[in-house]
Amino acid sequence: MNAIHSCFKAQIGEVVLPGDVFQFDVSSVEEDSNIKSEKIVCGPGLRRNGDEILVYKSGILRHKQPSMYWIDSQQKRYVPVKGESVIGIVTAKSGDIFKVDVGGSEQASLSYLAFEGATKRNRPNVQVGDLVYAQFIIANKDMEPELVCIDSCGRANGMGVFGAGGFLFKVSLGLVRRLLAPQSEMVKDLEKIFPFEMVVGLNGRVWVKAKSVQQTLIIANLLESCENMTAQQRRALFKRVAEGAL
Amino acid sequence: MRETPLSNCERDFLLKGIQEKKRLDGRQTYDYRNIKISFGTDYGCCTVTLGKTRVLAQVSCELVPPKDSRPTEGIMFFNLELSPMASPGFQSNRQSELLVTLNRQLERCLRNSRCIDTESLCVISGEKVWQIRVDVHVLNHDGNLMDAASVAAISALCHFKRPEVAIQGRDVTVFSPEERDPVPLSVYHMPICVSFAFFQQGSYLLVDPCEKEELVMDGLLVLAMNKHREICSIQSSGGIMLLKDQVLRCSKIASVKVSEITELITKALENDRRARKEGGKFGFAESIAKERITVLTREEAPLDTTDIQATADGIISKADAPPEVVPSPVIVATGTGQVGEGLENTWGLEEDDEEEEMADVTERKTKEDEVMVLSDSEEEEVVILNQDGRSKRSQR
Amino acid sequence: MAGLELLSDQGYRLDGRKATELRKVQARMGVFAQADGSAYMEQGNTKALAVVYGPHEVRGSRSKSLHDRAVINCQYSMATFSTAERKRRPHGDRKSSEMSLHLKQTFEAAVLTQLYPRSQIDIYVKILQSDGGNYSACVNAATLALVDAGIPMRDYVCACTAGFVEDTPLADLCHAEESGGGTTLSLALLPRSENIALVQMDARLHQDHLPALMEAAMEACKGLSKVLDSVVRQHLQEVSVQTRE
Repeated sequence: MNAIHSCFKAQIGEVVLPGDVFQFDVSSVEEDSNIKSEKIVCGPGLRRNGDEILVYKSGILRHKQPSMYWIDSQQKRYVPVKGESVIGIVTAKSGDIFKVDVGGSEQASLSYLAFEGATKRNRPNVQVGDLVYAQFIIANKDMEPELVCIDSCGRANGMGVFGAGGFLFKVSLGLVRRLLAPQSEMVKDLEKIFPFEMVVGLNGRVWVKAKSVQQTLIIANLLESCENMTAQQRRALFKRVAEGAL
Repeated sequence: MRETPLSNCERDFLLKGIQEKKRLDGRQTYDYRNIKISFGTDYGCCTVTLGKTRVLAQVSCELVPPKDSRPTEGIMFFNLELSPMASPGFQSNRQSELLVTLNRQLERCLRNSRCIDTESLCVISGEKVWQIRVDVHVLNHDGNLMDAASVAAISALCHFKRPEVAIQGRDVTVFSPEERDPVPLSVYHMPICVSFAFFQQGSYLLVDPCEKEELVMDGLLVLAMNKHREICSIQSSGGIMLLKDQVLRCSKIASVKVSEITELITKALENDRRARKEGGKFGFAESIAKERITVLTREEAPLDTTDIQATADGIISKADAPPEVVPSPVIVATGTGQVGEGLENTWGLEEDDEEEEMADVTERKTKEDEVMVLSDSEEEEVVILNQDGRSKRSQR
Repeated sequence: MAGLELLSDQGYRLDGRKATELRKVQARMGVFAQADGSAYMEQGNTKALAVVYGPHEVRGSRSKSLHDRAVINCQYSMATFSTAERKRRPHGDRKSSEMSLHLKQTFEAAVLTQLYPRSQIDIYVKILQSDGGNYSACVNAATLALVDAGIPMRDYVCACTAGFVEDTPLADLCHAEESGGGTTLSLALLPRSENIALVQMDARLHQDHLPALMEAAMEACKGLSKVLDSVVRQHLQEVSVQTRE
């Protein structure tokens, strides 16, 4: 087992490119796994091929204890994944379903029954052009993706139609992940400037609303500019804004 | 591929922002985004970036028989193309409404205003004339294609040189650039389009709309003018109701903008000419700012969201406001011209501490500008003109 | 066209008109039985025919229909015999498609489209003879046809051209005046509110002259609106004579 970890170890936090190979000795792994059935999880960007692991996305190799490896890549196009929460724009109402644009290759469908408290009689009030925060329950390369606005218990749990008065914009998927990371410093720093509401979809869409149009714009522009700034630059920038605002 | 639909939330927000005189990128109502003009190594090749909108124009020439109706005049041909590369909504080989409008407007702006002396393009009357072909390609679409295209086309025409010819009887000899120096076209004047977007049945108006703003606008008024304050074409579109006064007001604004842009083009041409003469470096490769990351960089300081109106009033109220360092036009690299780096973008936030904020802002901006210019080019040639026009503009 | 004197010293134009004088306007409504509305219009030697169908269901792909208003579909064409040189393509070239687009935009501004959501209004216009001011003749003919079809509009849309020669604005240009290379301003006006539905100008004109030129064009449009109004009234009278007891 350690053999595998050791082959990754040197590269953690480094940039890897498609075609890079991590090799390990299959026989030694199999021996090991008899004793302790531990699995290696290859996240996005890594693929196993026989006794080697191939990289198929460029980015930074990340590791999470005990044995998760993935590549953090800068990507703009969203590919639906089951269970992810996204911000969609309703583009059409047809029969029992809404068509929702999520920024993926195909529009997702959202049943009108998939809202909290919705029944055949009691339809949710959704207009074309509205924003919905929803979760994928079907995301498959062969099928049309499907969204729901309820969790498995039938509760809204924060999902549903939203978005009056705020502003929606698009950032890269990498930034979204950074924003959603638990205890994200970026969000903490932003909160210090002034209070605002924020909805972050994993598809790269971010919705913000602050007290005034002015403040909303500031937050939106700050977030967009965070894309390629180091933590230091960001802090300096936020500090300047905060000083101006207070 | 389909375009991302515009949500109601974005629409409402944009319109609300316009009502409060706030634009997404912190510009004022009558502000242009950064314009940068750079020339390629060949004559007649020019790219213009207007904010994130990017347009390439290439001029070429060919000897053809003239039109029967005008045997002694050269032919001007304009073609604008919206490649799918510029925006997911564009499809190649499709005559979209936008394409027709842009093409016709370009023709109207440049051909019908007779900015090029077509008679000088005649080689043998009735037999051979030069056909000047201007191909404009949109490389990236972020709104206001018309203005960018017109600036690119006219700059490319001014930059272009056609081969020298000699006529002996009926024989025409075309000389290669090595044998004889190519000759530039005679350009009478430089018409430039200025677009005005109208919102909420014409009650609000913006100059240089970006893509998002174009999506929510009611209609567009495009005015083409030259620096002699002559109007070369007017075109309204998109089912709006205008009043006569609005058109006249737009023409006044346009004349100011056009003189600024003309100055920039002349500067850029001058700069390119000097670079060529001195045997220095020129062409796109030279004019692209050297940046380590090229894919994910953003324009500098896009975070300047300001309480614009308040700031503008602040500037006016304080006659002795600290001098803003507004480099207009700035030459960032050889063979280019650029205007409006930094705009009037400030960080003005709440109106209470306006005064302090102002001073702070200017100071900071100065720093920013310095940093930017240095990092952008190795041999920095910075021309900072006085900024009379600037304060005038903010008063409007 | 340097040799041509567009305005004589006595203030007369090529065809003997005064500077602000319009050409003779003749019009008829309801010229076809098949169409929902139709009209024929003559402005001097420029002759236009307009036909209106609708409002009806959206033809072709459903995706074009708008959920809050009607779609206006315009097609402009020129008869092959309309100009001195025989035209090869009656429609579909850049100029015609632009003209179609302009007509569409003009009427989108004037017709109360929000009354007919998810439907379509077709306007077909044909120039039978072209002698300058094609756009304005088309707009005027289409206005009459829309009135004939009973489609609600904010006001008449009247269009007229104006030119500028020797510091004098000329109203309603003919072909010879238009092709001289001087300034041509086309204006579509809603005369009562003085709202401009479309404005288009070609060739150079100094900024200071623009107000005078626009004023002249607006006056000409108002003059035209009176003519159109009388045509409509006369037509209604004729029709209602038969229906009245």
